[in-house]
Amino acid sequence: MTCARLTVPSEARWADLVHAAAEKMALTVGFTEDAALDLGLATREAAINACRHGNRFDTAKSVRVDLFRIPEGLRVDVRDYGTGFDPMAAPDPTDAGHRMNTTGRGLLIMRAFVDELHFGYDPHEGMTVTLIKKLSPRVETGEGRVH
Amino acid sequence: MKVAVRNIGPVTVVDLGGKITIGEGDVQLRQTVLDLLEGGNKNILLNLESVSYMDSAGIGELVACYKRAKEKAGVVKLLNPKGKVYDLLSLTKLEEVFDTFNDEKEALVSF
Repeated sequence: MTCARLTVPSEARWADLVHAAAEKMALTVGFTEDAALDLGLATREAAINACRHGNRFDTAKSVRVDLFRIPEGLRVDVRDYGTGFDPMAAPDPTDAGHRMNTTGRGLLIMRAFVDELHFGYDPHEGMTVTLIKKLSPRVETGEGRVH
Repeated sequence: MKVAVRNIGPVTVVDLGGKITIGEGDVQLRQTVLDLLEGGNKNILLNLESVSYMDSAGIGELVACYKRAKEKAGVVKLLNPKGKVYDLLSLTKLEEVFDTFNDEKEALVSF
């Protein structure tokens, strides 16, 4: 079930709104503050990538963000109208040779902060990045951190 | 993002607060460090204690500040990264690049 949809111009300044929507929705359905921030940050990165690499900051093109409540937690689809990209072709920014790059960490953050990340490309509909964050029971670990 | 600058001996401490994100905090951070370097302040300690989070643009700007300082024979070090900021520095392996401290006095004498 779609719970919310945002359609924003391909401008980085809209990343705050997209981030806030995902984070707020995660809090609303019961994620911890830390997990909700993780989803907000991952969604922000997906939206920035969609603006930059997908739509190439063409303000005539929009970025569409759909937030779904699913049984496991939340799913976010971020769609742009570019020509797609190969996520496997992106260099690992943690490699010593790329660590001092000033860009290229968006995928790393997305992968780290959600449970599942999927990429889909349709020549007519553009590129869709799907992020899934699972809602797990609160468990106190030995380190005192809540997951 | 909030920025406050303190000079302690040969070190300039930049107290940052809020978030370092695309189009906002990253621009302020860039300009602050640029101004300091152009003003001859070469020992810069970025206090991240009150920074709640960064995005990839904010992280990229930290790296840019580090490189810019190095080009001018300066150095940028980090103080008190916490929570999500610490997680991000660890995730990106930048904790291996930056000299990072949890104690301001210890950081100050390291320059």
